[in-house]
Amino acid sequence: MLDHSIWPAHFCAVPKTSPDPSAITPLHERFLFSRIITGALFRSSRILLCLVLGLAIPPKSQADTTEPEKSVIHIMCFSQEPVWDAPWRFTSVRRGTGSGFVIEGKRIMTNAHVVSWDRQILVKRYQDPRQYIATVEFIAHDCDLAILRVEDERFFDGLEPLEFGELPKVRSTVVTYGYPAGGEQISYTRGVVSRIDINSYVHQGNRSFLGVQTDAAINPGNSGGPVIQDDRVVGVAFQGTPGLENTGFFIPHPVIQHFLIDIADGTYHGFPQAGIRLVATQNPAYRRFLGLPDNDSGARVDSLVEIPSTREVIREEDVILQIGPYPVGSDGTILYEGNRVFGAMAFQEAQHGESVSLKLWRDRKEIEVSLPVFHYDGDNEAGNQYGTPPRYFVYGGLIFTPLCMDYLKTFGRNWADAANAELVYEIFYRRHEDPQNTRPEPIVLADTLADPVNANFIIHRRALVDKVNGIRINSLDDVIRAFETATADQHVIEFIPHQGFECLDRNEAAQANNRILQTYSVPSDRRL
Amino acid sequence: MNRRPKISTIQGRLHGRSERHSLWAIVVCFLFLGSDARCALSQTANWENSIVTLDATRKQYDHFQPWTRRLQSRKKAGLVLDGKEILTTADEMFDRTLVRIQKHGRGKWFIGDVSWIDYHANLAIVTTKEAGFWEDLEPVQLPSRHAVSETMQIVRWREGRLESRKVEYSQFTVDTGDLSFVPRILLELSSEIQGTGWGEPVISGGKVLGLAVQHTGNKITALPTSFIEPILGARRSGEYRGLGYFDFYWQATSNPQSLDYLKLEGEPRGAMVIEVPSRPGAPSVLRPKDIILRIDGFEIDTQGDYIDPDYGHLLLENLATRGKWAGDNVPMTISRGGDVMEIQYRLPKADFSTALVPDSTYDQEPEYFILGGLVFQPLNDPFLRGWGPDWKRRSPFRIYYFNNQSPTPEQPSLVLLSQVLPDVFNLGYHDLKYLVVDRVNGVKISNLRELSEAFKTPRAGFHVVEFMQSDSLRRLVLSTEDQAQATQRVLSRYGIPHDRHFAPPSSEQEAAAKN
Repeated sequence: MLDHSIWPAHFCAVPKTSPDPSAITPLHERFLFSRIITGALFRSSRILLCLVLGLAIPPKSQADTTEPEKSVIHIMCFSQEPVWDAPWRFTSVRRGTGSGFVIEGKRIMTNAHVVSWDRQILVKRYQDPRQYIATVEFIAHDCDLAILRVEDERFFDGLEPLEFGELPKVRSTVVTYGYPAGGEQISYTRGVVSRIDINSYVHQGNRSFLGVQTDAAINPGNSGGPVIQDDRVVGVAFQGTPGLENTGFFIPHPVIQHFLIDIADGTYHGFPQAGIRLVATQNPAYRRFLGLPDNDSGARVDSLVEIPSTREVIREEDVILQIGPYPVGSDGTILYEGNRVFGAMAFQEAQHGESVSLKLWRDRKEIEVSLPVFHYDGDNEAGNQYGTPPRYFVYGGLIFTPLCMDYLKTFGRNWADAANAELVYEIFYRRHEDPQNTRPEPIVLADTLADPVNANFIIHRRALVDKVNGIRINSLDDVIRAFETATADQHVIEFIPHQGFECLDRNEAAQANNRILQTYSVPSDRRL
Repeated sequence: MNRRPKISTIQGRLHGRSERHSLWAIVVCFLFLGSDARCALSQTANWENSIVTLDATRKQYDHFQPWTRRLQSRKKAGLVLDGKEILTTADEMFDRTLVRIQKHGRGKWFIGDVSWIDYHANLAIVTTKEAGFWEDLEPVQLPSRHAVSETMQIVRWREGRLESRKVEYSQFTVDTGDLSFVPRILLELSSEIQGTGWGEPVISGGKVLGLAVQHTGNKITALPTSFIEPILGARRSGEYRGLGYFDFYWQATSNPQSLDYLKLEGEPRGAMVIEVPSRPGAPSVLRPKDIILRIDGFEIDTQGDYIDPDYGHLLLENLATRGKWAGDNVPMTISRGGDVMEIQYRLPKADFSTALVPDSTYDQEPEYFILGGLVFQPLNDPFLRGWGPDWKRRSPFRIYYFNNQSPTPEQPSLVLLSQVLPDVFNLGYHDLKYLVVDRVNGVKISNLRELSEAFKTPRAGFHVVEFMQSDSLRRLVLSTEDQAQATQRVLSRYGIPHDRHFAPPSSEQEAAAKN
């Protein structure tokens, strides 16, 4: 679909939000390393066997810090994801396995994608058949990290927390620990650090952070496992690229550290976004136009995302010469720990609400400013959704729900082709091109539960809702208000594009609502 | 433009057969001639003097390198008409360099000349001034009324012999063709024959029932002669002004609640108007939420169909081309807020250039403008077709999506920075492509002429190019100092003959230039 090369990824200081398969549909381009096993018979027999053996063999209590594998945890997560076009339903239970490791404070660190949409999490220690119940204490979908708690204190008996190391050097050797596919025992793979760069984190799909590429084999099930160098954790294994050989990726210490500092106050806020689209200033004419010295310094602010706090400080055509302690090169990169990475990295070192000092070139002179940066969720619908089941409202059999990436994916693998182009435009482009008309929560008529009251509808699914009873729909709350305050004989639902519309008899619909909910086993007409 | 590649491949293979294979084929055919085939032979006996072979050679453009040309040839069928004219379809007749005509399936090729072509109707008239061509040819008369029969054949010259194969009637339908957005009536047939769709006549007895325009699997689509003949008649009398079309969007009224809401009394019927595009200088008489009850005397049902006296149920869109031409008034009965009224709907002329992204640019070489290695091109569907047969899915979503957007007086068309040919002049911009130009040196840009003019007024030694607000680059700056040398260097290095090609100015552009 959208050609990636329209805009080189390394140019953007804000994540590209267009329908870029590598950024949005992780399973197409990259895969996450948790194992999903769906065979029910296999699942139940294995659980039974493990439980019995768990009673017979007590856990080992000795730990040895020179043997990190003792602190590496095997995680089994039973999860259910919502059905995005029937939002009161969930998929059948899936069993996924991943890895984790014990950190300070009797906690387990793993990937967010290992425990997303969890119903129950079981954890096992190294060479210990007993299973313990774990719960999610913190989960960060943007950087794909999570912290688990285990209720049974005995789980941590004899386990030493693994300590973190620094960002490893390129070409240095690392070892991954985890429970990947291919067996039940812990697995070790050794490789070198191949590259350190800004990578798309495909779990949420529309965020990029520092990532480390290694040729150590990282396979499904490795997710959340530690990557170790000199007995210290230098990263968390998390994703790979199926089309490329010997390329696994791990989350490095700076990202992990940012996450741990963020949750120290008991709440995860998320990585801040500056909202600055930063581009290179390598063209000599443009440098002369801006009055920039003839050197390799500075990247130009080409445009700004609608973040008021940034717009108060930064202007288009400013040139950023330095972010915090990092001088910015004319290609938009900074030198970070010996690696040239895109300048956005420097903003990500700050925590939500902190300020970053900037050296700018504005109106042909150098100035210094302080830019407060905050977590940004204005593009949430363009990323994969987790944690909160979709909001919905069912009226007269019409299922209304917010438009989001996960809803588009119900159209199938080629969702970007098959989807109503208006939906793709609304979710990925409208807020850039037409911010005045951007709806805070675009609503779709996801589907229609067939009933005599709606039997003659022509438009019955996959349609972007423009108005209901004359009220412009900016959120699901507007839909509910429009239906529940109506007094005319017919409800009128108008759609985009071309203002197609359908009418629903108000009295018949009111009488049909309970019937429809019962017929289709919809537990409630709404989830807000 | 490579249209229908699958069919082309099949035809290429058939034409490439060796003589030995042809002989085998003839023997086998003879052995297995059944009653249908014998009937077919007898039916085609008189057609040898009325069907000719056309060979059209045309320029094929690579819209990613708009300065390059390739040639493509296509063999088609033509039908001899009165007045020393040959009727064929317009398909593959655009951008032509040579048209040849051959009669009786063999022998000398005569040089032809396209004397009339209408891409929206998908019809062309070819003639020749060469002496002796018209001797021993028999013109056919086209019936003006619909006629299908159970013994229809499709006929074409193939390897020196007139091939005739049985076709079966499937249905009449109303749809757009490959060449135009205008819906028109089409005759759907099925047959075992392969590789037709290039103007082959569908015949029954002594009558031509249609010309094949498309072939997919066993399905052949033909333009019925009952559609063709009135156009040719109007052309002969000088009354033909091109096809018109209904430019409003409508929706079926199968939901009775919608009719209640719109206060229509009586039985459910009609089609609901949902969107009426604005027409510069000629506001439409229709409004959103009007219900069209009758068009040109025909009742419209809740599916948007009317009952055609010749074809039965057909989509209302056909009433824009049923003996009507652009500019004609079509009487309509509508219900507006419960009031029934009569209106006259003036048919707009089908014109590719009125769309924000034109569907086609027939007989027009691709436009481009190169400055310092930056290649600018108009955004149109021929450019998007560069992504291959599956271009609607494979072309970049955002630029394809402009097809869903309407032109405005300020932005009637779009110009793309389509690519950058690397040179030291454009260092730092090498990876840019598919960016829609908004302004150059502060001047709003809609076409390449405006673009080239805007580059004549730089700002203090620099050109400032601004792109449309989206999630991609907004702005770039070029130097004026060495732009001419850079352009020449790029043209020389990349083997490009000229730095620009513009289409002749439209009448509107000429008028604007005079003012």
